[in-house]
Amino acid sequence: MNSIPQDLVTSTSIPPEHKKDMELAAKYASQGPRYTSYPTAPQFRQDFPVDQYRAWQDTDGDHKRAPLSLYLHLPFCNDICYYCACNKIVTREKGAARQYLQRLEKEIQMQSQLLGDTRPITQMHWGGGTPTYLDNAEITELMHMLASNFRLLDKGYREYSIEIDPRTIETSTIALLKGIGFNRISLGIQDFDPLVQKAVNRVQPYKEVAPLVDSIRSHGFRSLSFDLIYGLPHQDRYTMDETLRKVIALRPDRIACYNYAHLPERFSSQRAIDRLTLPEPEEKLLLQQMITHTLQSAGYLHIGMDHYVLPEDELARAQREGRLQRNFQGYSLHMADDLLGLGVSAISQIGDFYLQNERELDSYYKMIDQSQLPLTRGCKVTTEDKLRRHIIMTLISELKLDIGECNRQFGIDFSTQFNKELESLRKMEADDLLSITDRELIVTHRGRPFLRNICMPFDAYLKSHQGDESPPNFSATL
Amino acid sequence: MTIHLTDADGSAVLKPCVHDYQVNCSNCRLNSVCLPLALEGDDIQQLDDIIQRSKPLQKSQHLYREGDHFQSVYAVRSGTMKAYKTTDDGREQVTGFFFPGEILGMDGISNNSHASSAKALETAAVCEIPFSSLEKLSSMMPNLQRHFFQLMSREITEDQQLITLLSKNSADERVGALMLSISSRNARRQLSATQFRLPMSRVDIGNYLGLTVETVSRVFSRMQKMEILRVENKEIEILDPSGLKNMANLRN
Repeated sequence: MNSIPQDLVTSTSIPPEHKKDMELAAKYASQGPRYTSYPTAPQFRQDFPVDQYRAWQDTDGDHKRAPLSLYLHLPFCNDICYYCACNKIVTREKGAARQYLQRLEKEIQMQSQLLGDTRPITQMHWGGGTPTYLDNAEITELMHMLASNFRLLDKGYREYSIEIDPRTIETSTIALLKGIGFNRISLGIQDFDPLVQKAVNRVQPYKEVAPLVDSIRSHGFRSLSFDLIYGLPHQDRYTMDETLRKVIALRPDRIACYNYAHLPERFSSQRAIDRLTLPEPEEKLLLQQMITHTLQSAGYLHIGMDHYVLPEDELARAQREGRLQRNFQGYSLHMADDLLGLGVSAISQIGDFYLQNERELDSYYKMIDQSQLPLTRGCKVTTEDKLRRHIIMTLISELKLDIGECNRQFGIDFSTQFNKELESLRKMEADDLLSITDRELIVTHRGRPFLRNICMPFDAYLKSHQGDESPPNFSATL
Repeated sequence: MTIHLTDADGSAVLKPCVHDYQVNCSNCRLNSVCLPLALEGDDIQQLDDIIQRSKPLQKSQHLYREGDHFQSVYAVRSGTMKAYKTTDDGREQVTGFFFPGEILGMDGISNNSHASSAKALETAAVCEIPFSSLEKLSSMMPNLQRHFFQLMSREITEDQQLITLLSKNSADERVGALMLSISSRNARRQLSATQFRLPMSRVDIGNYLGLTVETVSRVFSRMQKMEILRVENKEIEILDPSGLKNMANLRN
């Protein structure tokens, strides 16, 4: 098995072959969005033109027939994971799920009336929180609600995925998920080291995860994805080496790595993490280097934004063929332009609009109980936004941008309009992060970890924030 | 047709099945399988009102067909139902067998139309439970809907576990697993777990398990020789339950 070079784990200094990459990483480390949308969520406002949106939905057109993607947010968790920055509610109160499902059913019915129930649902994702906080009966009930109000598909090409907390799941639930139509699973692994797991309050030993992975495979799920986090307390090159060995042994089809951003003043659960146990900035950069080198030498492809896939995975093929998209669900195949988010805090991307549901559970309940769609924030995408969105999303998905095509599609002259942006990019070109010609921008292999940096010059809102809440501290780009 | 009931001493006795149209949920002998709920007399009456008990299905008669709009689920009251899909080349692929007390039609749940067809393997009676009425009733009896989804999820789960088993394992393991499944389903409705009559043909068994008829017969004779089963046409007696579990590779 390929793993990291021996000298990397036995010495405490930074190995010479990583020096160059690490210097670059240190140079470009800054704060930046992950671009699951453009404009990004902090740019949403309460006074967005919701009436225009509803009026547009009431007209007939392709948007009444085109494929649709669904996201369901299930916010409850049994226990708190200290690193978590998601919108979640930690409770063991009985009946919490029941109350939520009642509201969700009403929201599903209202949305189905607005969007229509004939659009084929090519993609669906249940995220959280912990979707498997729901028991088997509730999971079945929720799928039934969706099937009664939307046109779910039983075609093989559908992508129906669910996030699983390995600690909450039994084999019988895996069988049920398969039986009600899911064909993809993502597991929140984070790290396999016992001390790290204890420090973040998420203990799930490898010896329990391995049989779960076997069971998922034996039930014929088409794709298994792992989430990993680097920068967690007590992580170092030794724990990361061991975690990566175990991950590679289980050989998930996809691996998504996330950078832990310690922002205890914003996320109260992170206050349980002792700052002194966090890896030093330089060690953290090394962890990221280890991940990218180890996974790639084990045969994974880096498709961008710390996402790795096996070469035979559909995402790898889609990237080669320009069929990859990026939205709130991260990377996926481009099967539907519109994404409908359901549940508290969920975000939709529909037509020219981004819409976010109410983020507080009580207010969300109140709006639903008054038969009101719980849309409280959003924005309408301008022509300028669309151009910039095209550039950012194409760079992130395809790792290149065809300038001629961009000029034709938007009727612009790229080199004049983005003169300033190109200037910023030239500095990165000097560091071999990308190559710039008259015809295209190409992200180099070395530049893949710096995709956010490459996109940020095109983000007009970094300089002029338009959201009605103060701009956040973004997680570090690396 | 006949069904098997277990005597006090554990031996099977044969009793004629009466298709009793007067049966209702409170006096149905299957209600402990179908409705393990603490429903009060009045609640049972209300449930009883929405359930439609149609005339018995004759052998080979369809309950629903692939593509039919999903409106109801069905509880088998007597007899056995077979679910199957039609493959692209027009052949039948058996996807499941349903015994008394079991609910079928749930495959409609994921896209609101039935993903398979269901027909009677022998004269059978079913209770139809329309979903829309069930939803209305559930607002008055919150436990009820939950209970039905529990039943559904259990059926879906067992189905998938069996499919998974069948997709991987040897002929011995597959036939063994089916025999064990029938045995435990019998036990659930207080029938003999060791002695039963197979309601389906060897052809259906083979089709379901992805084996040729010859292979199914060979496995049965091998099991006879090893004194795991006694097989006489459709009559099965499990002589060595732990040997059968071994054979089905289901020891854990």
